[in-house]
Amino acid sequence: MHDFSCPRLRKAFHSATSLTAANLVLMFVALTCSQPANAIPAFARKYGLRCSACHETWPILNNFGLKFRDNGYQIMNDRDAPIWQNPSYWPITFRITPVWHRVSASNDVDTYSTTAPGVITGTAIQQISSSGVDLSGLDFHTGGTLEKNISFFVLPSSDPTAAFHFETVMARFDNLFGSPWLNIKLGRFELNNLLSEKRMVGLTDEGGIYQTYHFIPVADGNIFGQMGDNQLGIEYVGHSYDDRTRISAALLDSNDGNVNLTLGANSYSGFFTFDQAIDTGKWDVQRLGAYAFAGEAATYYRTLGGVPIAGSGIGNKSFYRIGFTGQFYFGPHFDLNVVTQHGQDNAWFGQGYGNAVNTDGNGGTLCSGPPLTNCLANNTPGTTLPIGSQAPVWNGVTFEARYVYSPQLIFIADYELEKMSQQADGPGFTGLNPTGAPGPSPSNLGNINNYNALIRYNPFMTSRAGLAIQLEYTLFHQNGTGPVSPITGFSTSTNSNELLFALDIDY
Amino acid sequence: MRTRLHKWFLLLGAAAFFALPLTSRAQLTTEDIASRDNMESHVAGYTGHVQDAAYDYRRYCVGCHGDMGDANGEVAQWLLPPMWPKPRNFQLGVFKCRSTPTGTLPTDDDLFNAITRGFDRSAMPIWNQFTKYQRANLVAYVKHFSPRFVTEKPGTPISIPPEPEVTPERIKAGREVFARVQCWKCHGVQGMANGPSASTLQDDLGFPIAAFNFTDGTRPKCGDTDEDIYRIFMTGLDGTPMPSFADNIKPDEAWDLVFYLRTFMQQPSKAKEIAKTLNLKPVSANP
Amino acid sequence: MKRQRNFVALVSTIVLLCCGALLLNQKVSAAGEGKITGNVKFEGAPPHMRGIDMSKDPWCVKANADHPQHLENVVVATNGGLENVVLYIDGWSGDATVEKTVPVFDQKNCMYTPHILGLDVNQTFKVTTSDQTAHNIHPLPNPMINVGWNQSQPPGAPPIEKSWKNPEVIPVQCNIHPWMHGYFVVVKGPVAVTDDSGNYTIENVPPGTYTVKAWHEPDTTQTAKVTVSAGGSATANFSFNK
Repeated sequence: MHDFSCPRLRKAFHSATSLTAANLVLMFVALTCSQPANAIPAFARKYGLRCSACHETWPILNNFGLKFRDNGYQIMNDRDAPIWQNPSYWPITFRITPVWHRVSASNDVDTYSTTAPGVITGTAIQQISSSGVDLSGLDFHTGGTLEKNISFFVLPSSDPTAAFHFETVMARFDNLFGSPWLNIKLGRFELNNLLSEKRMVGLTDEGGIYQTYHFIPVADGNIFGQMGDNQLGIEYVGHSYDDRTRISAALLDSNDGNVNLTLGANSYSGFFTFDQAIDTGKWDVQRLGAYAFAGEAATYYRTLGGVPIAGSGIGNKSFYRIGFTGQFYFGPHFDLNVVTQHGQDNAWFGQGYGNAVNTDGNGGTLCSGPPLTNCLANNTPGTTLPIGSQAPVWNGVTFEARYVYSPQLIFIADYELEKMSQQADGPGFTGLNPTGAPGPSPSNLGNINNYNALIRYNPFMTSRAGLAIQLEYTLFHQNGTGPVSPITGFSTSTNSNELLFALDIDY
Repeated sequence: MRTRLHKWFLLLGAAAFFALPLTSRAQLTTEDIASRDNMESHVAGYTGHVQDAAYDYRRYCVGCHGDMGDANGEVAQWLLPPMWPKPRNFQLGVFKCRSTPTGTLPTDDDLFNAITRGFDRSAMPIWNQFTKYQRANLVAYVKHFSPRFVTEKPGTPISIPPEPEVTPERIKAGREVFARVQCWKCHGVQGMANGPSASTLQDDLGFPIAAFNFTDGTRPKCGDTDEDIYRIFMTGLDGTPMPSFADNIKPDEAWDLVFYLRTFMQQPSKAKEIAKTLNLKPVSANP
Repeated sequence: MKRQRNFVALVSTIVLLCCGALLLNQKVSAAGEGKITGNVKFEGAPPHMRGIDMSKDPWCVKANADHPQHLENVVVATNGGLENVVLYIDGWSGDATVEKTVPVFDQKNCMYTPHILGLDVNQTFKVTTSDQTAHNIHPLPNPMINVGWNQSQPPGAPPIEKSWKNPEVIPVQCNIHPWMHGYFVVVKGPVAVTDDSGNYTIENVPPGTYTVKAWHEPDTTQTAKVTVSAGGSATANFSFNK
């Protein structure tokens, strides 16, 4: 259920003028966007293993689950092919997550005269809260082996209105030439992140994504490079027999999955990971890794009547994200996951070039016309960057601590910090920066502090189905993207919090 | 009345014969099992403790092997032999993969290796991603289910002479051993698990069980190194129809047999290469 | 029904056992051991024993060409005697059998000879093969009581010497020849198995009053009370109907 649209929407609205509207929409999309994926009782049923064998708490993989996935959904016992299953077995899982939530976010609101009823005297920033029950959509997970070492995964995912998109569609070929070092995936798939957003437990808007994976500077126009999402491409994965050493390289493209001209076409990026686990005896396994995500994306388009033409993206500019990952276990009950990120986008992206495009066909129309609206930087050849433009650079870190009381009861706390080290609108910039003020952006513009805490309880644990009861609270803070201050006339910070009670049903 | 009884008796005679040991196997109580909570294992440089494995056992093992180690986990009922062998009942203290003679307890190393290796063609996965510490604890946990580990010592591992150089003569000699001890009665003259007795094999609990097919590319249940294969037929797989041949195959002959068995297997080996030049005929199945 | 009967049998056994224990306690085993003899009959028409199809192993077929084998679940002599009944003393608490023989359990013509071997605990027995085809000798004790094993005996294999630690009825089978099955009946104290006329003799019984138990496969038992005098012989006859 997590798709390109959610962070894109948020960013689009941040860079649009109507920040209040953005916050309202935020509330509406809050629960529709942020669903993790990939917990498969279909696999548990196939092998007779409990969820807890593969998942720390589903859908978070433990080391055994990681090995299972890396082997192409096989336990490698020569009984993985479906020919060995009861003919009535069909590898399908439904997942729904009905929730009750309460969201509160800072907004500009009209203030009224206390003496003359009905007369608007100005605006003020206030918290707007709302609560209610949401469906949050439906996932169908179907995946498994077609034959020994040949497997597939299809995940049609819907929003609450039953509008479906394909979250994952892929085929994989594993253990080529009998070697665990040769595995190939093709299609749209989960990136090889140790701390995978597709497997996070959080269900709130800001707590249901990893900010570090989605962070882009305010008003940045890079249409690509969001590590949290499933991507289209081809991936090579290799791992040692015991899965202690893992390596992957993926070539990803920016298509929307249709075999035709699409807006995001013509650019590729690469994603490389490496990690190594070390047996530390009583302390369990420690896994250390690194990743690099580097690529190009279009910054402008050929147009007709001012409207971008699909498949015409040109002016590719580069970006990268690099960082370290760590999975530190302190015995069986406690583990700490860390992801760091150092990111940079080309200065053209920093000025908003490139985002006048829908990336995947799910995001709604960001740029439409004529007359063109929201088409921030749909430039024409010959455009030059404003003085003071520079490549935005930032650093981020995600900490996720998990206390596993028992396989059925788990506590998770996340803290994420995203910090700009170089703003796109640098010294010498004379235009209006994204807060609406003239001149260079404040140095903390776009910085994020995000806290998320949850308790997840599985009342039973079998190999057939899963039910989790979850209580979650998120606090989100971002500088310079919130409502406009009535005093200065510039954007203040976004502050939102969310309380959520969910049933996560997996059958 | 009597005739009916006789009829039943005749019909179910054989069934009762096998059911008898099954039904008479009394369950141990929780208290009895808990009385062995101080069980230890000494393996891989660690001293394994029961209580340190309780969490892992519950997370990973209990679904099949059950809380009581009696192979009555919730999914055991869906594991249908011979395609999916039943889980091991730890209370009985009978184990297939041992380095020790038939009728003796396995060593801690044997249990450790079984957890690490998993069991091919069964629901038992390869647990090699566990730390050695975890596995050592699980060995202690597995042992504490059976009173045998208190009353008996593990057997003495059979001694395996160093593996000799594989030669055409040895492969031919191995073929003679294969014929003499009549491996083919179950495994078939070409190692395809289609010997005359293959179809009626049952394990000790009365469940159907398949002989190992050397030719289909799968791995032997107790390991696929030459030493593992040596060990399998010299110790037997307790709880299954596979007997120990220790009294009837000399150590040197045993290596010959290993080399001959290798010629059946898909896995590349020097013996297989040499066998290509020998043009060996399958042994005769005639008396 | 059967369960109830078993229960009654159990209760009476316990009562008898207690009496026996009391008696034995009073009595110090004196010299001049006696014996218990008797005959076990089968009442009514003996059930038909199906012939055995040995076609899996041509050697077995050939070996039995002139005397086809039948199942041995109920073997009744022409005089009505029941073979393969095991007789032993219930609640034996005396010394080990004075003279321990080493009985032989032979694999002959793809059958077990004898079909049932009665054994004292820890009594050594030998498993031999007379056949020119491979067997595996695979007793199936309850692992909670005795420790099982499984050994191959190809043609010309040396005898295997074994013993059992605890009283138990232990089925034994050959996986290669699935029709081959027999029992090791392990009891405490002296034991006898009826011959092909249904006769038996339990030797080496010190004087005293005993409960003789007769067991027939798969799990039918009867008891009788006898008193053995010094150097004398007591008689206990039984009759089974299934």
